[in-house]
Amino acid sequence: MNTLIFFQTAFAGRRLATLGFLWLVMITVAALAAPLIAPFDPLEIDPVGRLAEPGWPNLFGTDHFGRDTFSRAVYGARMTVIIGTGSVAVALLAGGLIGMISAYFTRLGHFLMRCVDVLMAFPALLMALALITLLERSVFNTILVIGIVYATTTARILYGMTLKLRGEVFVDAAVCSGAGHFSILFRHILPNLVSPLLVQASFIFAFAQLQAAALDFLGLGLPPEVPSWGNMLSEERIYVTRAPWLLIYPGMLIVLSVFSMNLVGDALRDSIDPRFKDDIAGV
Amino acid sequence: MALLEVQDLEIAVRTKGKLLPVVQGVSFDVDDNETLGIVGESGCGKSLTALAIMGLLGGTTVRITGGNIRFDGMDLLTLSDGERRSIMGNRMAMIFQEPMTSLNPVYRIGDQIIENIRQHQKMTNAQARDRAVELLSLVRIPNPSERVDSFPHQMSGGQRQRVMIAMALSCDPKLLIADEPTTALDVTVQKEVLDLMADLQTRMGTAIVLISHDLGVISETCDKVAVMYRGRVVEAAATENLFTELAHPYTRGLLNSIPVVDSDVDWLEAIPGRVPTLEEELTGCAFHPRCALVTKLCATTVPQEIEYKPGHSVRCHFSGKVAP
Amino acid sequence: MLAYTAKRLLTLIPTLLAASILVFLFVHLIPGDPAAILLGDTATPEEVAQLSAEMGFDRPLYVQYFIWLGNVLQGDLGTSIFFRQPVLSVIGSGAETSILLASMTMIWIILIGLPIGILSATKQGTWIDQITSSGAMLAASIPTFWLGLYLIMIFSVTLGWFPSSGFPSLSDHGGITNLRYLLLPSLTLAAPNAALIVRLVRASMLDVSREDHVRTARAKGLHPTRVAIKHIFRNALIAVAAAFGFTFAALISEAVVTETVFSLPGIGRLVVQSILRRDYPVIQGVILVIVVLYMVVNLAVDLAYARLDPRVSLK
Repeated sequence: MNTLIFFQTAFAGRRLATLGFLWLVMITVAALAAPLIAPFDPLEIDPVGRLAEPGWPNLFGTDHFGRDTFSRAVYGARMTVIIGTGSVAVALLAGGLIGMISAYFTRLGHFLMRCVDVLMAFPALLMALALITLLERSVFNTILVIGIVYATTTARILYGMTLKLRGEVFVDAAVCSGAGHFSILFRHILPNLVSPLLVQASFIFAFAQLQAAALDFLGLGLPPEVPSWGNMLSEERIYVTRAPWLLIYPGMLIVLSVFSMNLVGDALRDSIDPRFKDDIAGV
Repeated sequence: MALLEVQDLEIAVRTKGKLLPVVQGVSFDVDDNETLGIVGESGCGKSLTALAIMGLLGGTTVRITGGNIRFDGMDLLTLSDGERRSIMGNRMAMIFQEPMTSLNPVYRIGDQIIENIRQHQKMTNAQARDRAVELLSLVRIPNPSERVDSFPHQMSGGQRQRVMIAMALSCDPKLLIADEPTTALDVTVQKEVLDLMADLQTRMGTAIVLISHDLGVISETCDKVAVMYRGRVVEAAATENLFTELAHPYTRGLLNSIPVVDSDVDWLEAIPGRVPTLEEELTGCAFHPRCALVTKLCATTVPQEIEYKPGHSVRCHFSGKVAP
Repeated sequence: MLAYTAKRLLTLIPTLLAASILVFLFVHLIPGDPAAILLGDTATPEEVAQLSAEMGFDRPLYVQYFIWLGNVLQGDLGTSIFFRQPVLSVIGSGAETSILLASMTMIWIILIGLPIGILSATKQGTWIDQITSSGAMLAASIPTFWLGLYLIMIFSVTLGWFPSSGFPSLSDHGGITNLRYLLLPSLTLAAPNAALIVRLVRASMLDVSREDHVRTARAKGLHPTRVAIKHIFRNALIAVAAAFGFTFAALISEAVVTETVFSLPGIGRLVVQSILRRDYPVIQGVILVIVVLYMVVNLAVDLAYARLDPRVSLK
C-alpha cells in the first residue's frame, strides 16, 4: 500500500514518465505472453521470404534468414525482461548485502569496502569483458556478468545509505530493546531503504540493457540463436543499407525501453527521502 | 519624505496552483540614521518583507501581489531589472542570518568584496582591493591586509559576519537590511556585531532595518519597532513606548517570554500554541486561537489598524485592555 | 602540492597491487595449464615446458605472482599468441588511435555537455529545460553502436562527407587531416557521455543555486548571467570535474564498441579481437594497462579537485 502511494506521488503530473511506465508494462505483457502475441516462430527460417519489407503478414519485415522480425522482437522483450530483472537481482543481492554488512560491522566493512574499491578500479565494460572471457556464452552468464559489474556500485551506494541510517535514533532504540544484528539490519534498516533501492534498481535495469546490447553486438553476449534486440542488431548490421528496418525496429525498442526505465527512475528519485538522493547512481 | 516607505505590501506564495497570502497590508517607513526593528516568530513574514524590499524574492513561487515600496523617492516595484540591480549592493545592501554559508566557499573574501565594489564603482582591481582592506579594518578584522586573502572556511562565524557587513557597506549604502544578523552567533559575538552596526550607523548615517525574533536584541538597538504576526504588522511604535504602553496581547506574550535577570519570576511564560500554517484557513484576528482575551468578535472580524496613541498603532479589538 | 601528490601516490599503491593480483589470477581462472593457455593451440610441448619453467608455473602461486610482477615492472607483459610480438608493443600500436579518439571525444563532451547543461539549469522549469534535460536522458539511452551505424549510413554512405571506417596514423599520408576519420566515432562515443554531463551539470547547478551564498551574490546586484557562471557554475564545477576524469578514464574501455563499429585500430577493438582469438596474454596486458591508466587519471582528478575547492587541504 505504501509503495502504491509512493508510485502515485512520483508520477503525479509527469506525463513523460507515466508514458514510460506504460511502455514498460507493455513490454512486460509482451514478454509474458510472447507465444500468444508473436504470429510466427521466431526461429523459423524461410529462405524464400528473405529480407521482406515491412507489411502483411510480416509487420516488421523479415531478416536475412527469412525469420519474422516482429515475432523476434516480441521474444526479444522476453530477453529484455529476463536480463534486466536478473542483473538487478544479482546486483542488489550481492552488492546490497556487502554494502549493508560493511556499514554495520565496521571492521569487516573496512576490509570489504577496500575490496570493492579495487574492483571499481576496473571500468564497467572492461570488467564485463574480462569476466565474459572466462565464461561460456549463455543467458545465465550474461546476467551474472552484468550483475557482478553493477554489484560494486550497488555495494558502495548501500554502504553510504546504511551508514546514514545507523546513526538514527530508531536504530539505537532497536538496540536498546535487545534486537539482534540480523533483526536490526533487515527488519529495521532495510525497510527504510526500499524506495531508494527501487530507484537504484530502475537505473541498473536501464544500464544493464545497454550493457547487454553492447555485449551482444560484440558477439560476446547471449548465444547468437537467442532472439534478443541486441543480437538482432548485431546479426543484421551488414544489411543496414539494403534492409534498414532490420535495424530500426530493434534499435528503437532498446532506446524506448532504456529511456522509459530512466524516466521512471528519475520520477521515483524525486520522491524519495532527499538524504539518499545524492547516493543514487543514475542518469 | 522618509528614505524607505513601504505601503500596504502584499506577498503571496503559489502552492499547488493556489495563491496563499503570506504578507498582508504591511506598511512602515524608515528615515536616514534610523533603525527599524521588525520582530516576530519564524514564519510571520518578516524575512519575506526584507527580501521584497531588497528585490531578492526568488523565482515564480513567491511574489509581490500588491502595495508599493518607495526608496529614496523611487518606486522600486516599477523599476526595470537593470535599474533595480544598480541599487542592490550599492545604495541598499543586505546581510543574512547564516554567516557560515553566506560567503562563496571557493573565492577569497577579498575578491568577494572587490566584486561588490567593482560592480557599482569605476575602480581598478588594485584600488578596490585597497578599499576592501580598509573596509575589513573598519569592521575590526585583525590583520586586514593579510585576511583579505583568506578563504571563508578559514574564518570563524563572527568574522564571516563582519566580512558580510564589510561587503554590505562597501558602496556606502543609505539603507542596510539585516535579517537575523546575530542569530547564528555566540552570545558574546552577537553583542560585538550589534555594537559594530550601531557604531557604523552613527558614523555613516545609514538607515537600518533589523529583523529579529529576539525582542531583547531589538530593544537595545532599534529606534522603533514593528511587531509582525502571520503576515501583518500587529503593533508598531517607538521602542521606548512599545515597552511601556504595549497594546497588543501578542506583544505582551513576546515580552513575557524574555528572561529578565534579577527578577523574582520563577518561570517564563510561553505563548500557548504555535503560529498557524499557511494552509490553515483563519477568520478574524490571526492571533485569536492563542489569545487570552479572545471573544466571538475576534474569531469573525479582522481588527483594523487603530492609532492607539500618537505614533503608536495597533491591530486589536481590545487594545486598551492589555496590561503592560 | 608535491607532498600531497606523493601521499596520494602512496595510497594508490595498495589498490594497484590488489588490482594486479586480480589481473594475474585472470590467466589462472581459465581451466587448463596456464603455460599452454598463454602459448595457444599451436605451441609444441617443449615450448610449453620452457615457458612453464620460466614463469615458475610449477612453484607456489605467490612465487609465480612475484615472477610475473617482476616481468611486468620491467615492461614484459608476455607475448601475443596471434601476433607473435611482445604484448606491450601490440598495445602500443593501438595507443595512438585510442588516445586521439578519447581526447576528441572529451572535447565534444565539454563543448556539447557544459553549455547545454548550463542552459538547462538557468532556464529551469521552462520548455527549454524540459527539452534539453529530457533530450539528454534520451541521448543517454541510445546504444552507441546503433547510433554509430546510422551516422555511418547518413554521413558516409549517403552523403559521403566522412570516411566510414579505419584510421591511418597521423604520421601517414594526410597528416593531421586524418583526424576526419575520427570525427564520426568521437561524436558517437561523445553522445551518451555528453548527455550524462548535461544531466550532472544541471543537477549540480540546481543544488548550488539553492545555497545561501548565491543569494549574497544576487544581493550585490550582479547580472543573473554573472551569478550563474561565476557563482553557481563555478561551484558546481567541483562535482562536474570529478565526473570528467571518471568519464575520460572510462572512455578508453567504452571505446571498445565504437572502435568495433568504425573498424578503428585502437586498444578497444584489440580487446574484442583478442577475446575472440583467445589471445590471453594480450587480454591480460590490456586489462592491466587500462586499470593503471584509470587509477592515474583518477589521481589526477583528485589533484584537480584540490585546486578547484580551496576547502580541500593540500597537506
